[in-house]
Amino acid sequence: MSKLRNVAIVGFAQAPIVDADPHHTAPEMLYPVVKQALASCGIERKDIDYQCAGSSDYIDGRAFSFSQVLEVMGAWPPVQDSHVEMDAVWAAYLVWVKMQAEECDTAIVAGFGKCSEGSPTHVLNLQLDPFYHASLGLDHISTAALQASAYMAKSGVDDAGLAEVVARNRAAGAANPDTQLRKAASAKDLQGTPFVTKPLREGYLPPIGETATVMVLAVEGKAEKMCDKPVWIQGVDHRIELQTIGSRDLTQSASTRLAARNALEMASVTSAREAQVVELGSATPAEELILRDALGLPSGLGGNGASADGPVVNPSGSPLCGNPLMNTGLLRLAEGFRQLSGRAGERAVAGAKRALVHASAGHCLQQNIVWVLGTERRWT
Amino acid sequence: MNEPPKDRIKYVQTDLHLPYHYYAGDYKALYLNALKDKKILGSKCSKTGKVFVPPVMSSPDAHAPCTEIVELPDKGIVTTFCVVNVPVFGRDLELPYVVASVALDGADISIYGLVQECKAPEVEMGMRVQAVWKPDGERLGEHTDIKYFKPTGETKAPLESFIHRL
Repeated sequence: MSKLRNVAIVGFAQAPIVDADPHHTAPEMLYPVVKQALASCGIERKDIDYQCAGSSDYIDGRAFSFSQVLEVMGAWPPVQDSHVEMDAVWAAYLVWVKMQAEECDTAIVAGFGKCSEGSPTHVLNLQLDPFYHASLGLDHISTAALQASAYMAKSGVDDAGLAEVVARNRAAGAANPDTQLRKAASAKDLQGTPFVTKPLREGYLPPIGETATVMVLAVEGKAEKMCDKPVWIQGVDHRIELQTIGSRDLTQSASTRLAARNALEMASVTSAREAQVVELGSATPAEELILRDALGLPSGLGGNGASADGPVVNPSGSPLCGNPLMNTGLLRLAEGFRQLSGRAGERAVAGAKRALVHASAGHCLQQNIVWVLGTERRWT
Repeated sequence: MNEPPKDRIKYVQTDLHLPYHYYAGDYKALYLNALKDKKILGSKCSKTGKVFVPPVMSSPDAHAPCTEIVELPDKGIVTTFCVVNVPVFGRDLELPYVVASVALDGADISIYGLVQECKAPEVEMGMRVQAVWKPDGERLGEHTDIKYFKPTGETKAPLESFIHRL
């Protein structure tokens, strides 16, 4: 592996995740978060070289929607700006690439999406092929149910297993003041909730909420001045699979497996089990189990594979406790930052020095990004 | 939009319907609500004192909060304008008509509106104008509560006086 620039996450701030914030527009939700993130690093907007947002025009109901937030990003006089029509975690990836290209040293990443103003179900239907899939009325829940059903048939995991996965995450979410569902729920109670689309029950699906998120990144030499405990990016890779759902094996995540292998190799780490924290972008319990398989982690079901020295998986409660579209992935990366920088409060994983973070986009885990974070610089 | 191919199997018809309701939010709602009372509100930057209308929560240049709300007169000057000679989607107006950028007295940025009650060729930069409101009972707290701006007949402003607001 050739030597790359050491890049660190040095700050993060978010608005509370809520079902709907009728009191603020998307820019108004974002403004205090931008200020808070910058203040946490002891810097002002002028100290930032580059900015990148992740959002969706379809979620926002506006063409080129990212331009509406420029006024609160401090983008005047004109700044270097980009946007990805993706979860903001991919904006963070773009920042990392820009830093490797030596085009910037400091950057902010913003995520936003006023899901409550439109209909995410309609939007996620339109993400599918218009000839064969969208016209059937499939949405993110029905495709996730197809995937869950396939996975259950192959793995033998039953309804009780899915409930157990959700209950674990809900217990973790109860200790996370920044997530949306902060009330634990037992597997038995979750199994008692009605089916939305069988085999997925109401209790197995997170509400789609909204928030605004901002992350600050900086290269070695600057990062140390902006954060007491910078969290270094040791490895990262992302991979995408075919759009056509019938053309890939829904019971496994080939792209996560490959992205993880490459990210771990970049970090010079042999296995996901060497991390103390693993944070997964799974919005259904079946997705979590598929991702665990792809990363070589035990399912943890019924005590299987649960050992004292294995990584803690989903200390935040995962997207199962809060799924604000376009921010969900960046919140996973933020959890890695919080855990390794002593900002995780009550849910802090003791002695955490390395985290593996995953985030996903598209139906049935179509696209996956894997980050390896550490308290130490990767390249010396 | 072009007509689809004649042969039905050569295309898929997709009539997208995506419902949205954009929240004004508490801040914009102040401005919209005041229009019902024929009042135009702006906000003042806490750092530079610049007045923005409609009000914004933060100033783009100073990146500072604009929490102070100020009331502005419904009079100002035409800065830049254009004469529309072709029908525009969503607008049923007699052609030609004038769309102008109006700098209200005391505001640092302009708002857009129609200029009527005069012929298009009579409109010029620096012309002083005043808002013509929808009648009482018909104002709903929408930007269109200001029907248009009309010339006041006052002496026009010299270019130097508004060149920084173009």
